[in-house]
Amino acid sequence: MNNRYWIIASVFLLITISLIWWLQARRIEPVAITPTLTGQVEYCLSCHADLAEISPSHPLKTFGCVLCHGGERLALNADLAHSSMRGGNNPSALSVVEQSCGGENCHAGTSTAERNHIQRTLTSLQSTYAGAIANVRYTFGTQPDLTPLYGTGAVTDTSLPSKTGILHLGAFDPLNEANPSLKSFGANCLTCHLNYQVPEDLKGTRFTGCAACHSPVGGFRSGEVHILTTAMPYTHCNTCHNRGNYDLRTITFVERIDQPMTRLERYYQPIGQFTQCEYTLDCVDCHTRTEAMGDGDLHTRQKDFEYVRCATCHGTLTELPSTRTLTDPDDLAFRLAQVNPVVDLHIGDTILITGMGEPLWNTKVLTDGSYQMVGKATKQLFTFDPVMGSGCTQDGQDQSSAYCHECHAVER
Amino acid sequence: MRPNFFQHIHPPTIPAAQARWRYTLGAGGTAVFLVLILVVTGALEMFFYLPTPGDAALSVQTISFLVPFGGLVRNLHFWSAQLLLVVSGVHLMRVVFTGSYGQPRRFNYLLGLGLIFIILLLNFSGYVLRWDVGIQWALVVGTNLLKTIPWIGNFLYKVLIGGATPGSATLIRFYSWHVFGLMVLASILIIWHVFRVRRDGGIAVPPPNLRMDKERISRNHLVRIEIIAMLLTGSALLLLAAFYPAPIAPGITEVTALSGNASAPWFFLWIQHMLTWGDPFFWGVLIPLLVLTLLCSIPYIFPNPASQDIGRWFPRSNRLAQIVLAVVILAVSVLTLVAQRPVG
Repeated sequence: MNNRYWIIASVFLLITISLIWWLQARRIEPVAITPTLTGQVEYCLSCHADLAEISPSHPLKTFGCVLCHGGERLALNADLAHSSMRGGNNPSALSVVEQSCGGENCHAGTSTAERNHIQRTLTSLQSTYAGAIANVRYTFGTQPDLTPLYGTGAVTDTSLPSKTGILHLGAFDPLNEANPSLKSFGANCLTCHLNYQVPEDLKGTRFTGCAACHSPVGGFRSGEVHILTTAMPYTHCNTCHNRGNYDLRTITFVERIDQPMTRLERYYQPIGQFTQCEYTLDCVDCHTRTEAMGDGDLHTRQKDFEYVRCATCHGTLTELPSTRTLTDPDDLAFRLAQVNPVVDLHIGDTILITGMGEPLWNTKVLTDGSYQMVGKATKQLFTFDPVMGSGCTQDGQDQSSAYCHECHAVER
Repeated sequence: MRPNFFQHIHPPTIPAAQARWRYTLGAGGTAVFLVLILVVTGALEMFFYLPTPGDAALSVQTISFLVPFGGLVRNLHFWSAQLLLVVSGVHLMRVVFTGSYGQPRRFNYLLGLGLIFIILLLNFSGYVLRWDVGIQWALVVGTNLLKTIPWIGNFLYKVLIGGATPGSATLIRFYSWHVFGLMVLASILIIWHVFRVRRDGGIAVPPPNLRMDKERISRNHLVRIEIIAMLLTGSALLLLAAFYPAPIAPGITEVTALSGNASAPWFFLWIQHMLTWGDPFFWGVLIPLLVLTLLCSIPYIFPNPASQDIGRWFPRSNRLAQIVLAVVILAVSVLTLVAQRPVG
């Protein structure tokens, strides 16, 4: 036998083995964690070691990655590892939220209705847009009255009894509408609502689902944001609000084109008036979680569950604002203050509460009868006085914004 | 000196005129080498593979990503299995296109076809063991084909699946068939096939002008040729395994919810495409069985090669058999290619 064949075959094998050795050396070194909640090893950190922990309430050692994100926990191949992730890069998208943020031990299915955030969010107006859909369909003659029939997605109120009597909404499908204005409405006016895909030009400014509010993007590209917070700055609310106005003739959304320089200018209601607190505080400083995430019932009007008024913090000429002295260590106020520790609440502290009894946990009644509020996002300290005993000449029954703004609006 | 066990496996010498690579293509030997690799790599995989629905796909991921050299072993197992099908097909073509299936090798031809059939089953059962969304469609559709068989279909389905729908009983049955039942059958057939090769007069009959040639290849020389062939085949396999990993997908969560890839493994794509033509029993069971029967009948109903023709490619005397096989292979290839076209 010719030795040449031996040499060729051996060299071929040697080159192959070297190549394989080189490939093996380039392999990702597996980095394992076993989160205490799942007890199952996962290797996501092999690639994502530099990703910051999403929030102090969701420590990596306890939650890991897979409990929320899904995905293939053992795979070291990016395509496979990511292939079964819930909601792509956003596990809080409402289509998958019940498996990720929800779950028996998390933000759904608990015996305490106030902690059942998923059901509340799914039924909230921020998600359904039911009233506007009913109004617009009624206006264009597609339905005989203002009964809400559709939301941006189908939803059923499972937390009975219902104060509003609305138990189910079908999914509004603009493609089924014959009227061109309704098609235009469908194309232009639904995208802010929580279970809609973020339009291409707004991608990178916000997510859908829970992350729409709780993951302030702050100018980063989406995918690089790994934050969950209850301290949302107003700038994040503005990724939906104050972006422009509806043009009712064409049923389109007209983006604002001005360049707001001051905080006050950032509001985009040309005829709107604002008091100093409205444009100094962040939205979340006054508006409660129930106002934002709903009360578990299907509503059609925002004002049905808007509880916070001027009087909530300032009272009227005849009444001081409602307060609660914290005596129960399990009081919701303590839990909320723990999630966003900008104040140091103690048993015996007296805080302001809304008309529905929700704690304004970032406020405190001071010994001199005045009040303090700490900005949830800014940590800024504000003090303010009650109306009672002031020179205000209000009629305490009228709490409409126009009424108070008559005297207290800032000129602009 | 009396030959030891390993020496006994090889004949002391073989006629040089039989061992012409351009005539045999070395397909049978390569197939045996691939089977050896499959047995070794498969045995290694058995140390980590867990045949339960909840763990199977995860254990395949463990093998692929976490076990040292596990990915390489799995890829070698996968590529050896695919190459074994190709090499077996080449072997079949060689045998028919050189007319070397005539008496006394008629029975061994049937053993060979039986081996191809078992290799197909081994390949399919191994594919199912991944138990991930990539195999779900083929598992459900493939096993549902059994139900279409009149009289015994439902019985066969229950025997194979072990329940009303694929589940843990199915996986353990496929596993047992793959690592034991089919392996035992394959081993018996391989040994029988190789034994018959020697009993029927060696690996090939030389052409008439070389039949009187007395030159023989010694055992050592034969082993050397075999080692070189193994080095080359092994290197090619290693390259394939290193650069083209075996398919893998997320595990099955709901076995009847067909979320994954709606496609059969490549060796059954031709049947998958025929299923779009109508009755699943006719196109999915009867026609493939008829094809197999047709191939089995080649030495029995078509003109056999004349003695003076044997030892050459494409002899005139069994042209009809060659045409039959060529048509079958062409049809299967065309259907396979057509089935890969995206639907819609």
